[in-house]
Amino acid sequence: MTGAHRRILVVEDDPETAGQLVEELTTSGYEVDLAANGREALSQGAARDYAVITIDRMLPDIDGITVMRQMRDDGIAVPFLIISALGEVDDRVRGLRAGGDDYLVKPFSFVELLARLEALGRRSETVAKETILRVGDLAVDLIARTASRRGRKIPLLPKEFQLLEYLARNEGRVVSRAMLLQHVWDLHFDPSTNIIDVYVGRVRRKVDDQQAYPLIHTIRGIGYCLRAPG
Amino acid sequence: MLLAKTLGSSTFRLALIAIGVFGLIVSAIFAYVYWSTLSYVRDRSDRAIMIEQASLDEAYARSGRGGLTALIAQRVVDKNFADHVYLLAGPGSAPLAGNLKQWPADASGQGWAEFRTSLPALSSGSALMRGVTETLSNGDRLLVGRDISDLDGFMAQIRAAGIAAVLLIIGLAAAASIGVTRRTVGRIEQINAISRAIMLSGLDQRIPLRGSHDEWDRVAENLNLMLDRIQTLMGDVKQVGENIAHDLRTPLTRMRGRLEKAYHAPRNQQADAALIGDTIADLDAVLGMFASITRISEIETRARKGAFRIVNLVEIAGEVVELYDAAAEEVTTHLELAGDPAVQVTGDRDLLFDAIANLVDNAIKHGRPGGRVIVTCDNDENGAVIAVADDGPGIPAEQYDHVFKRFYRLEQSRYTPGNGLGLSLVAAVASLHGARIELRDNAPGLLCRLVFPAAET
Repeated sequence: MTGAHRRILVVEDDPETAGQLVEELTTSGYEVDLAANGREALSQGAARDYAVITIDRMLPDIDGITVMRQMRDDGIAVPFLIISALGEVDDRVRGLRAGGDDYLVKPFSFVELLARLEALGRRSETVAKETILRVGDLAVDLIARTASRRGRKIPLLPKEFQLLEYLARNEGRVVSRAMLLQHVWDLHFDPSTNIIDVYVGRVRRKVDDQQAYPLIHTIRGIGYCLRAPG
Repeated sequence: MLLAKTLGSSTFRLALIAIGVFGLIVSAIFAYVYWSTLSYVRDRSDRAIMIEQASLDEAYARSGRGGLTALIAQRVVDKNFADHVYLLAGPGSAPLAGNLKQWPADASGQGWAEFRTSLPALSSGSALMRGVTETLSNGDRLLVGRDISDLDGFMAQIRAAGIAAVLLIIGLAAAASIGVTRRTVGRIEQINAISRAIMLSGLDQRIPLRGSHDEWDRVAENLNLMLDRIQTLMGDVKQVGENIAHDLRTPLTRMRGRLEKAYHAPRNQQADAALIGDTIADLDAVLGMFASITRISEIETRARKGAFRIVNLVEIAGEVVELYDAAAEEVTTHLELAGDPAVQVTGDRDLLFDAIANLVDNAIKHGRPGGRVIVTCDNDENGAVIAVADDGPGIPAEQYDHVFKRFYRLEQSRYTPGNGLGLSLVAAVASLHGARIELRDNAPGLLCRLVFPAAET
């Protein structure tokens, strides 16, 4: 991972939120630049190569969406994470359609933010076109759409496979419940129930029961992480 | 005060315009009557003069100037022709016969003329005459005329009567408009005053009815009904507010207590981590509840039709069933999808997913552990139908209307996790899609059907 790809531009006009973001991201090992309005964002975004740009939808001068479009028109391909207080589905979809790569609704947890930044930053790296993802003794075959541990096939329903694939693609990274809903079920709202936990629970039983070590780990209050021990 | 309001009211202004237009029309009618009467009367008078002229012409034709002079002399003394004037003049305008001493200046030309003159037979001085002049074949000029003072007086009377009638009508109309407007303004003012009082003091007051069953009573009745409805809605809002307060206070109190206890206890990394984790989870639940409330309000108030596509209900229901399969398995409930292979509706996939998910979630939670939950999609003759049925204890029929209210929880499910918002969301989604919700007794259990309107083709 090159230095440039650990650099993040935060576009946020509220000083306190901006301060928290900068502090949190710096602690997590990112180099962070801050832009307090749309104009600064445009000039900084053009001047440097960022791994991810997080952008608030409501900015004092230019609307976040407009800033994003402008940068896309200028040929800047950096992934955008939209952070917005407007949580409704229409706003989310509009944000994504305008060139955003992911969104986060205020209030959010920093762990969720980090999880999403990791996923986005990874997208901007050149991903090897693997056909089999391997995590410990788990093999996820993306062509045959089957999973196995130590050569023994795990019987999975299509959605269960998609879930495991998404976890495997983000190996070692925390994946939030909202991210699972968004990427596995294409749902852009947060269900009020613990349905995702129940669902992951079943996948976990299929994957981890009677194995040498567990692969799917619950990250308290946030979501899940697929990783091999050691 | 009331008079000023009356004169300034729009009703009165309209009445004034109506009076103006009406007055113009009445004046026009009177003018027409006046002019047609005038021409009729004048016509008759002129014809009488022409007949007289004809008989004089005849005398002249028969026996020349001598015969004509004789007839004129005879006419001048005839009582029946007392209101006539005659004058026969030679070429030098010297009078030859007749009861006029000299040729009237106003009748110097040929044809018809009106002129004033005094007649010996008339007691009153001068009179208005109308006459016709002709030149005879020997060059003499003959004037035959008649007193039209009576006619003039008659027309003046008609004119006076007409003007008086118009003025009287306008005056009466104005008085009537002021009266009616005043009554209207008075009633409106009464309603206004009560409205102001309601705004100031509260929704308890109502506008009194007069019992006349007229349009004013109907307005008052409708306003009262509106006030009733507002009062009910305000009550609902208050109830929802209290429910929110209650449902929020519970986790907040829990969090506060937990934090307070931890604050006074010696630091212990493991215990602190667990406490912070629990608190974040509780906080997320509270935020989730807020999100649900705003989501329902948003669905209820907006027209999201713009984002509608043709979607296959079976596909969405299939995804929901798959998502909830694990949850059903946990309580050993059998969850299955049945019905037609493709049921199309025009709608929003995310919202429909959310609604169906809520119904399935309810069916699993409130159904019988180890029971069956069946999701059926059908193309009914009336439109697409999706039904979710469980075989649990069901809901008493008298509760059917209540379960769609926000935060409504049946007594039996007070302690089941949930926030009482699920069916409100289903109701909001259904109403946005124009769908009807039906609750039925599944004997045993509850059958909930969403009936979509027939597709427009």
